[in-house]
Amino acid sequence: MKQKVLYVIVLVALVLSACGGGGGQAAVVRIGWAGSPDTLNPGMAILVEAYTIFEQVYDSMYELNLDGSFTLSLAESVDVSDDGIVYTFKIRDGVMWHDGQPLTAEDVAFSYNLYKDTPEYPYMNGYYTPYFDSIEATENNEVILTLTEAIPNIESQLVFLYVLPKHIWENEDKLEYENFEMIGSGPFKMAEYVQNEFVRLQANKEHFYTPPKVDEVIFQTFANQDALVQAIKTGQVDMITEMPNTAAAALDEDPNIELVVGAPLAPGVTDIIFNQMDPENCPVDEGGICSGHPALRDRDVRLAMSHATDKQRLIDLVLLGLGEPGLTLIPDGLGVWYNDSIEDFEYDVAKAKEILDNGGYADTNNDGVREMPDGSLPLSFRMNWPSDSINAPRMAELLSQMWGEIGIELELQAVDPDALTAQCCPAFDFDIIIWGWASDPDPSALLYVYTTESIPTGSSETGYSNPVYDELYAKQQVTLDFDARKDIVWEMQRIVHDDVVYIIPFYDANVQAFRTDRFTGWITNEAKVALEDVTSLVVIEPVK
Amino acid sequence: MNRTRILLRKIAWSIFTILFVIVLNFFLFRVLPGDPARAGVRDPRLKKEAVEMLRVRFGLDKPVINCFDSLNPIEFGSCAVNPMETQFFIYVRNLVQGELGFSYHSNRPVAELLAQRLWNTVLLIGAGQILSIIFGMIFGILAAWKARTAIDYGAVMASLIAWSLPTFWLGIILLFWGSANGFPLAGKATPGASSLPLLQQWGDIARHMFLPTLTYTIVYMGEYTLIMRSSLIDVLSEDYILTAKAKGLSMFQILKDHALKNAMLPLVTVIAINLGFTVAGAIQIEAVFSWPGLGSAIFEAVGRRDFPVLQGAFLLIAVAVILANLVADLTYTYLDPRVQTE
Repeated sequence: MKQKVLYVIVLVALVLSACGGGGGQAAVVRIGWAGSPDTLNPGMAILVEAYTIFEQVYDSMYELNLDGSFTLSLAESVDVSDDGIVYTFKIRDGVMWHDGQPLTAEDVAFSYNLYKDTPEYPYMNGYYTPYFDSIEATENNEVILTLTEAIPNIESQLVFLYVLPKHIWENEDKLEYENFEMIGSGPFKMAEYVQNEFVRLQANKEHFYTPPKVDEVIFQTFANQDALVQAIKTGQVDMITEMPNTAAAALDEDPNIELVVGAPLAPGVTDIIFNQMDPENCPVDEGGICSGHPALRDRDVRLAMSHATDKQRLIDLVLLGLGEPGLTLIPDGLGVWYNDSIEDFEYDVAKAKEILDNGGYADTNNDGVREMPDGSLPLSFRMNWPSDSINAPRMAELLSQMWGEIGIELELQAVDPDALTAQCCPAFDFDIIIWGWASDPDPSALLYVYTTESIPTGSSETGYSNPVYDELYAKQQVTLDFDARKDIVWEMQRIVHDDVVYIIPFYDANVQAFRTDRFTGWITNEAKVALEDVTSLVVIEPVK
Repeated sequence: MNRTRILLRKIAWSIFTILFVIVLNFFLFRVLPGDPARAGVRDPRLKKEAVEMLRVRFGLDKPVINCFDSLNPIEFGSCAVNPMETQFFIYVRNLVQGELGFSYHSNRPVAELLAQRLWNTVLLIGAGQILSIIFGMIFGILAAWKARTAIDYGAVMASLIAWSLPTFWLGIILLFWGSANGFPLAGKATPGASSLPLLQQWGDIARHMFLPTLTYTIVYMGEYTLIMRSSLIDVLSEDYILTAKAKGLSMFQILKDHALKNAMLPLVTVIAINLGFTVAGAIQIEAVFSWPGLGSAIFEAVGRRDFPVLQGAFLLIAVAVILANLVADLTYTYLDPRVQTE
């Protein structure tokens, strides 16, 4: 009898504890995504998921807005010397770290010096801090940043340099520190992190600038995109950041779910790469093999292929309509930097054939495939793509059909992505690759891949080399006047478009979905779709 | 030969195999084309110097073994390298010290990363194996006992279907069914559950385990049922079973005292093989249910040429397979005394 009573008491206690602590329900936003941060050490991180978390937990000098503009964040004002070399940032007073310590100019200077002095941080020395000469903190909470030369894009250099707490980082190994506790100053603080499972963040209601209205945000990793779609349908998550395009229509019909479609937050671009590397200039010391088909070094051949590419059909069949026709390597998501004034080569098969005919590429043996003017080689190209790409196989089939119509044959072959990297650059051991680039809010990164300088580094995929372009690239890097720089960037896009260095088939749209019955106020009307961005997460509130 | 000698010989062979795996493990991944310092990062922001720094940090700037910069035969290096400073020697030395290295990709010690993943896999596969063995044996015995009746035909049919179902497909079906019935779709635990009382945490994990374990159990139960059934039917046709029947023993007694032990041999073999291999994680099940196990860790590491993780994981699997085989051998000597004299 005694045992039975005990049993009942335990049972009741269990049921009660399962009901939770009572009181008001915490507003927890659950986000489903397909990735997980690679590391929480901001210097070492590479994956975009890591940067999404940094964005929530840390502050930086500038905030990148969804329309592509920048606003001051940690600093309340900035003073620039006339020669554009010395920047003096006045750091806001009263900013606190999540552990209660004050954030000062000391921390900022410490962080910038850390990034500058650690060449092992993959992006820092090469890209974000090469113009940093010295960084100092002054007594009245100012940071003085001195550059080696004046540059036009200081905001985009500083935006991913997250400010770290000196009192923690100075005692840690800057390379191996895993930073699981992640003390920051941002609108959310780290509560719990299990790699490849979830990240749980708690609201920092005392944030100086954008205190969140919700209490918690959970990023849950799904290894399977079908599960992601199912999770939002059944309400296990409130928002998903990616999904297969095939699921978009079905989700759109659900009355509790709203779909947002548009340019992605992280600018990305799909490209068809032509190997134009002349074997005479092959970077042999860097492992160059330069086995590209000679016909691809002829602009006429590339131009004919461009005319024979039906971009709209690719968008309809590969992306199910969720994309825009591509034009240049600078995607439309980069806002003002995107040169939308360029007129694309129209889809015209007859014209494509005419160009090849005039170039002397005739089908001499009547097998349906044209030969080189000297009759030596057929216009038969190897076409590769990374085997993890969802869109590329279908694209390759379609391109094979389209280009087949003008007498060009393709040998299709998917390749393991890492093997493809080795095959690509700077080995130049391929003819055509379907791939893509991810980039930065500033156009410099993408424009760099056309430069002669980038050929031996492995960033140039085409081997394209044009002294006029190289000169313009160098010039835009130091042109301080915004409009003048924009004009140069537009001109550069026009040059490479005229030279048909790449074919840019389309700009994929980002598709995200959220449940309308849980939270309201998501930012959906900006130039870029990023519901997981901190700008959206700090303004949403629970549906009453 | 007596048991001790057999045991010693088996253990010696196992150690030799593990040593072989350690060496093979190192070279296997290095013949893959591709550069670990660039893998997983395709970004114009990554400058040549940065890649060079990564190479130094990972120790990839050192020759693989003396005389070879890489295993690519066209890239012969200089032979005047101190063998103590080759990648292979450093790898072996670290291993001897119990060090599995540092993951190139996730910036964490490999041992820590694998331990976490292994535990998740063992939890899932362990539960799945135990359930499928129990149910497989029960159904197999039932089918053999009631051979050529409706029960037998039903069990065989169901097992054949279950065994031949594509794991991935079955997983997706159960995922759709489960999510409609409130089962979680991903992960091992609900975020934030770690602050709950222990009992509720276990309940939460059990709820997350339900669908993947069910998938695993269904697939393997079919296999075990069929093997148990056919092996038992074989044994039941032996003369000594007839003798036992003639002595007037009940069917239950015959099964318990005379048939089952002999019928277990083939099942033990299959279970041992399955156990060894499934430490690698049922990759498909882990992928469908986003289960953070060893299988998905290996899958990710291959794509990123994360050599230390791959080496560690393969070593772990090799050791598991070898141990499972050792255990199977030893169980044999217990179940079948003839093995000792061979």
